[in-house]
Amino acid sequence: MDDANKVVADRRNFFKRAGATAVGVGATVATAGVAAAKPAEARPADAMYRETDHVKRYYELAR
Amino acid sequence: MEPLEPEDALRAQLYRVLADALSDAPTGGDLKRYTGLSGDNSPLGRALSTFARVAAGCDPVAVKREYQELFIGLGRGELVPYASYYLTGFLQEKPLARLRQDLSGYGIQRSDASSDPEDHVAAILAAFAGLIDGAFGVPLGLEAQRDFYSRHVQSWMPVFFRDLEGAKASVFYASLGSVGRVFLDIEDSAFEMI
Repeated sequence: MDDANKVVADRRNFFKRAGATAVGVGATVATAGVAAAKPAEARPADAMYRETDHVKRYYELAR
Repeated sequence: MEPLEPEDALRAQLYRVLADALSDAPTGGDLKRYTGLSGDNSPLGRALSTFARVAAGCDPVAVKREYQELFIGLGRGELVPYASYYLTGFLQEKPLARLRQDLSGYGIQRSDASSDPEDHVAAILAAFAGLIDGAFGVPLGLEAQRDFYSRHVQSWMPVFFRDLEGAKASVFYASLGSVGRVFLDIEDSAFEMI
């Protein structure tokens, strides 16, 4: 067994011990696809949060 | 092309689950799929089982609200899930530039449909999943994977997943945070073997 194959075998054993090959994710996850490398939908976060009186008031009302 | 090792296929899948759940609030259908996850008695297996159980007990409306509070909020959410922010305290800083450079080296770029920076946690996880299983062409060798991992995942995501576990607004996402944290622990150790 050459070095590269040994690394692969060692890693496989390691993942087995770690439980990462025993997870029942097969079909479940295959369908849970995101478009690869398409960044997530998220807000532009340029508006930094400031806890003004107005915001504090909102918190009180929102309780 | 060599066939993908089974453990690498599973790694890619797990990265995709994390990416998928973090890219947007899950729909009812997503939650239902997550309930099908299961694991053995290992820490990762238990984290996945817990995640599946929590997913079964959550309704999409509550999880959507949780997503809003965690990541969007009033002006900003409780957490800011971008590499640049975690590493420098600011958005769109050098870590984003380095990520863009590395991604473009693999022929990956931001989709036109999105105006968000690529260093969103879900985008990095999805990109890494594709690099592992070859969704963008050829699967990346382990050494190149290790480089990408240490620069763009290990450098901040363990902290992010811990924050997610401990966030005030976090219920569904706390259990996902545990999956991420435990999984990256395993990845750390596995990459040390190379």
